[in-house]
Amino acid sequence: MECSSLHRQLAIIKKNLFDQGFLDEQFYQLEELQDDASPNFVEEVVTLFFRDSSRLLTNIEQALREKHPQDFHRLDVLMYQLKDSASSIGAAKVKNECTVFRELCDKENLEGCLRSFQKVKKEHAILRQKLENYFQLQRQVGPVEKATRSGN
Amino acid sequence: MDPASTTSSGSSRAPAAGYSRSPDAAAACGPPPEFPAGLRVLLVDDDVTCLKIIGMMLRKCLYDVTTCSRAAEALSLLRERKGWFDLVLSDVYMPDMDGFKLLEHIGLEMDLPVIMMSADDHKDVVMKGVTHGAVDYLIKPVRMELLKNIWQHVVRKKRFGMKDSEQSGSTEESDRQKKALEEGDNVTSGSGPNWRTMKRKKEGKDDDEEEEDDTEEREDPSQTKKPRVVWSVELHQQFMTAVNQLGIDKAVPKKILELMKVPGLTRENVASHLQKYRLYLRRLSVPQNQARIDGPYTSAQEVPFRSGGVVGFDLQALSVSGQLLPALHFGARRATDTGIGTPTFNQMGFLSSGSSANVSSARSSPMYQMTNRGLSYLSGSPNNIESRQIDQPYHLAQQHGRNTPLKVEEETSVFFNMPPSQTRPLFPGANTNDQLNRSLLMAMSQPGQQFSLSQQHDNFLGQSISRGQVLNGIEAHDSRLASTVRQQMLPYEISSDVSERTVNTLNSSLPGNQISSLYGAVPQSLNSNIQNRCINESVASLYPHSSSIGPTPMTGSVQTSSKTSNLKGISDLPPSYVSSQNKSLDWKMKGVNLPYQSGQQFGSGLNNLDSGSSPATYQDRNTINACTVRKEILSVRTEIEHEKVECISQCNTAVLVENSFSMKSEVLPDTKLQDAFYDSNIISNELMNVVGKQLQEGTGEDASELFDGYSLDM
Repeated sequence: MECSSLHRQLAIIKKNLFDQGFLDEQFYQLEELQDDASPNFVEEVVTLFFRDSSRLLTNIEQALREKHPQDFHRLDVLMYQLKDSASSIGAAKVKNECTVFRELCDKENLEGCLRSFQKVKKEHAILRQKLENYFQLQRQVGPVEKATRSGN
Repeated sequence: MDPASTTSSGSSRAPAAGYSRSPDAAAACGPPPEFPAGLRVLLVDDDVTCLKIIGMMLRKCLYDVTTCSRAAEALSLLRERKGWFDLVLSDVYMPDMDGFKLLEHIGLEMDLPVIMMSADDHKDVVMKGVTHGAVDYLIKPVRMELLKNIWQHVVRKKRFGMKDSEQSGSTEESDRQKKALEEGDNVTSGSGPNWRTMKRKKEGKDDDEEEEDDTEEREDPSQTKKPRVVWSVELHQQFMTAVNQLGIDKAVPKKILELMKVPGLTRENVASHLQKYRLYLRRLSVPQNQARIDGPYTSAQEVPFRSGGVVGFDLQALSVSGQLLPALHFGARRATDTGIGTPTFNQMGFLSSGSSANVSSARSSPMYQMTNRGLSYLSGSPNNIESRQIDQPYHLAQQHGRNTPLKVEEETSVFFNMPPSQTRPLFPGANTNDQLNRSLLMAMSQPGQQFSLSQQHDNFLGQSISRGQVLNGIEAHDSRLASTVRQQMLPYEISSDVSERTVNTLNSSLPGNQISSLYGAVPQSLNSNIQNRCINESVASLYPHSSSIGPTPMTGSVQTSSKTSNLKGISDLPPSYVSSQNKSLDWKMKGVNLPYQSGQQFGSGLNNLDSGSSPATYQDRNTINACTVRKEILSVRTEIEHEKVECISQCNTAVLVENSFSMKSEVLPDTKLQDAFYDSNIISNELMNVVGKQLQEGTGEDASELFDGYSLDM
C-alpha cells in the first residue's frame, strides 16, 4: 500500500539518518516528547533550531571575516551556542564539527577555523535538507502514522 | 498536570496563569500533594531550542514550568514571586549574565536550589558550578530521565535547610560551602515565618536582649520553605555579648553558643554569624580616609567610634555582617585614620543590615565608631569600583531616612558597587552611623570601582528587596552611612553570596586604602554563598534595632543600635565551612578567613593568622586564597590604593569569577592589599584587607559582570 510503502520509506530514511551519524540519541528524546498534545513537536523544534542556528552561522561568518585581531573568544562563544543547540536536537555531525571548530579556536588557528567553519556550514545544510525531506514525508504519511520510533 | 503551564520567555508566570499550584503555597508548607508533580521550576536558557526542548521535558515530568531566556528576566520573576518557585534550572552561558552569577544571586536572595546546565562538560566549569552552590550540574543535551529526579533537590533543601545545616546534594566540596552558606542563609534569610517573627520581635523589643525571641524564630517549624535562623537584634546582642565576654580572639562558636544560651540555636548558626561579624569588623577596621566619606555622610551619627584599634563596637556584629564591612570599608577607606572606626560602624551596619527598614537611628551610632574609619574604608572600596558607584550608594544612603526598601537595596548595591546581590547582603551595618554611610559612600565614590554602579544597582535592587527593607531600617539612623551600610547589609541578607560580593564591591569601591575593610567584604564575596550567609547572619545580629526589613531574614534587626556589641570579639568568624575558627587572631585577620568561596580555604588560612602575624603574611594568605578563588577579581584592587578596596571589588568578582567584566582583571589580590592591611588600623585592616581582597576579587568581577549588560532592575 501506498501508506505502508511510505512508512517504510520513512523508516528507512530515519534509519539512515541515524546510521550515518547525522542524528543521535537525543533525537529520540525529542520524539518521546511528542504526543497528542504536541503532535508536531519534533518538527517545531527542528525548525526552530535551523532558524536560530542559521542566524548564529551568519554571525560566526561575519566574525570570521572581521579584520584582525581576530576575536577568538567571541567565536568560541558563538560556536558554543551552536553546539549547544545542535546537541539538544541530536544533530550529531553538526555538533562534532562545532567541537572541532572550538578546539581550533582555542589554539587560535584562524585558518583551521575557517576550514572547520565551512564544514559546519556544510553539515548544517545537509542535515537541514535531510530533515526537511523527512518531515515532508512524514506529513504525507499522515498524522496517525507519526514515524516516531517506528521502523528503527 | 497541564503542560501548558510553561510560558515562553517573557513572562511566564505560573501563578498568574492559573497554574495548578497556587502561589501562596510557595512560602508555606511543602510541596503539593501530588509532588513531585507540580514542582515549580523556572527554566532559564538563552537558546530557544533548548528552552523548548527542556521545557517540554519538564512538563512531561509533570512539573510546573516557567521559562525565560534571560537571566535578568529570571531574577525579576523570582523576585516578583518570591517563594513561588521551587527550583531553578539555568544554563551556564547566557549573553546577559553569566549563569554562575545568576546562581549566586539566586542563592543569596532566594536560596532556591539551582541546577546548572551546559553543553560544556569541562571539569573546571562543573567545579565552578559546584563552588557557586549549584545543587547539580547537567551536561547537555539533557535527557528526560535526569529531569525526572530533580525534585529531590527541592526536598533535600527543604528538609535539611530547616535544620540549619544544609546537606544538599552538592558535592563534598560545595557541601562545605553550601553548608556554610546555608547556615548563613538560615540566619539571615529567615524566610517567611522566621523573618516575620524576627521582625515582630525587633519591633517589639528594641535592643532587648531576649533570648527567647530568637529561639522562636529559629525554631520555626519546617512549615516554611526554608527555615532559617533569623538573627534578630536581640539575638545578635546576645551574640555580641557572648563574643565580647570571650574576647574576639577567643570567641569560638561553641563557646558563644554556650554563653548565649539560646535554645534552638546551633553551633553552625553561630559560626556563620560569627564569620559574618568578623568580616564586618574587618571591614570597619580598615583604616580609611574619611575625607571622602565625610562629605556625604555628614549626618553620620557619631557612633562611638573607638578608633584605636579595634573598633569599639562589636566586631561580632561586624563579622557577621561581613558584608557590612565592605561597606564600611568604603567609607573607611577614605579616612585612613578611621581605621578602627569601622568596627563600630560595622556593628551598626552589621546589625542594620539585618534589620528591616526601620532601623533606628541608633543603629548607626554605636556601631559607627569607626565611622571615619569605616567610611573611609568603604570609600576606599576596591579600586575598581567606580566612583560613581560609590556615589550612588551615597546618594541612597542619604536617603536612609526613608523607608524604601528597594531603595536601600539599590543604594547598597550602588554603594558597594558590587553586584547587587553581593552588596546587599553584605552590609550588615547599614544602620551604623552616618559615618558608616559616609564611608560607604566614600568608598563607593571611589573611582576605580569597577562595577558600574548602575549595574550593581540593578542587581541589587532586583535582588534584594528585602535588603531594601533592611536598609530602610538602617536608615533609621541618620547617618548615611547607615544606609549605606544597610545597603551593604541588605545584599548580605539576601544572599549570602551576594553579600559576599557586595562586600567585595564595597571594598572595591573603597579607595584602595580601605582594603582591609574591603577585605571583610571581599572575603565574603569570594565565598559567595558562604559569605552571604555569614554576612547575613551577622548582619542580622548586628542590627538589633533595625527593624526587620521585611523579607530579609537577615536579621531583621539591623539595628545600628548603639549598643555596639563589641565587635572585637568577632575575629573568630570561623565559618562553619571555613572550619577554622580562628579566633584568636585579630578579628581582622579572621575576617579574612571568611570563607569566601574557597572561602574555606581562605578562612582557615586567614584564621590562622594572628593579628600578630605579619599582615603581609596574612594577607598573602588571604590573597592567595582569594586568588585561587577568584582570580580575576583581584584586579579590582589595583585601583584602590588601599588593599582593602580591592578586596571588595574582588570579592565580588570572585564570586562571579568567571566573568570579568569591566572589573579590572587584575585578578589577584596583590600584596598591595596586604600592605594595606597592615595599616595602623590594625586588626580591622588586616581583616578587611583580606576580606576585602577576596571580596574584591569576587565581587569585583561579579559586580562588573553582573552589571554588564545587566542593567535590569532585578
